[in-house]
Amino acid sequence: MTYVIDVPQVFDERSFDQFAAGFAGVEGDARVLVDAHAAEWASPAGLIGLLCAGQALLARTGVKSLLTAPAEREVAHYWARAGFFAHAADLFEIHGAVPRVRPNPERSVLLEVTPVTGADDVHAVVGRIQERSAAILTSELGLDPKATMGFGMALSEACQNIVEHAGTGGWVAVQTYSWRSLGRRVVVIAVADAGVGFRHTLEATQGKRFGDRWGDATALEAALIQGVSRFRDPGRGQGLAGIRRYLDRWHGKISIRSGTARIALVPSWEKDEPLRDGLPPFPGAQVQLVVPAVEREAP
Amino acid sequence: MITEIDLREVLARSVGAPLSDLVTRSTGAKVRSSIEAELSGRPAGAAVVLDFSSVRVLDCSCADEVVAKLVLGRGVAPGAGQWFVIRGLGEGQAEEIDHVLRRRRLVMVAEERDGQARLLGEVEPSAEAAWRVVGELGNAGAEEVATVLRLALVEARQALQAAADAGVVRQADDRFLPLTAA
Repeated sequence: MTYVIDVPQVFDERSFDQFAAGFAGVEGDARVLVDAHAAEWASPAGLIGLLCAGQALLARTGVKSLLTAPAEREVAHYWARAGFFAHAADLFEIHGAVPRVRPNPERSVLLEVTPVTGADDVHAVVGRIQERSAAILTSELGLDPKATMGFGMALSEACQNIVEHAGTGGWVAVQTYSWRSLGRRVVVIAVADAGVGFRHTLEATQGKRFGDRWGDATALEAALIQGVSRFRDPGRGQGLAGIRRYLDRWHGKISIRSGTARIALVPSWEKDEPLRDGLPPFPGAQVQLVVPAVEREAP
Repeated sequence: MITEIDLREVLARSVGAPLSDLVTRSTGAKVRSSIEAELSGRPAGAAVVLDFSSVRVLDCSCADEVVAKLVLGRGVAPGAGQWFVIRGLGEGQAEEIDHVLRRRRLVMVAEERDGQARLLGEVEPSAEAAWRVVGELGNAGAEEVATVLRLALVEARQALQAAADAGVVRQADDRFLPLTAA
């Protein structure tokens, strides 16, 4: 029997829990079909979340799960241009039409879905963003050139979470699009892995301190709010602190989902819950950074 | 003697590629090892200028691994006994280094692109004030610092010693000098 996980029509951070609930329902080594045929849009977090699911299922069952590509031609093309299918093919047996696209992405895709497994990958990702996208970030989003430099820093630190803590590879993708509640364009960095997650990473050094309260939510609080790391060296744990400073300065948002919890630092332009626990379990960690375009004064 | 180290050159040498982004902790460790190896044959007590002019992106992890650990290892690491000054930082880079130094309660002198010097990191206010007087006068002893800052002589001595211990001025007998003074 094949177990079906439905991909939400609009697959982004907000609908991620719906997908995670489907994923959590997979029992044993059942054959799984990830059904994206009705998908109409996916954010970078959605696309790399799909890859994480594929990676985790492949590790669990040893066989590729099935994936139906979006039926809508334009949606499938966008996923292809975002670099999704190139990596999905390693993890899924894909059904449906997979478009062949030119390697050059459109301007909204600042960084296609890119695997991150080591420091070399982080260098490559930061280099490509600085070379290809700095002009877009400043001209189209109106970001201060100083913000563009900081963007590379934040991107690097987010990717290093995978290299340093996941225990497995992950993916990063960067896109710009309009953020409905803000009414402006934003640039979104999504970084995710199907690794061990924050709770497991921090448990050896932080678990005792929190006692019975220890769990995914407290692990996320410890990492993002208190800046703790699994290392005893006081110089460690600076990555998320650096990202926070950057986002504070440019009125951005960070959210991290790991295991059964999600934490967010929510700017005034956004409505979101700062901390949620008891969510459907999902492997690894999913990080999203959102930097809004500068508000332009009316002429 | 002043040794100038171009971080971009060290980066390229350390990773074997012409990169200009100082990112990731593992890259930082390689860069620091290269710098320590370069300094291991140099005499103690010399100033070392770390030139970041050609570095594009600097992340916190790499800044900690290169800058903070070089300062931290000033007394014990290979190439120990050097005084470090930093030069050519962009504004964002200076902020990152300021934060990583504060996290370890360290301080260092940064030369701005306009030639002005400032301190990055954390140091006692009296030591910072003494450092400023030394910089303005070119060199100073406790008497001058006491006069300029309106401190008791013993307090001026303590402030200068704290600045020297923090590695932002160097001592020559009873005088204190900026790190890059000839």
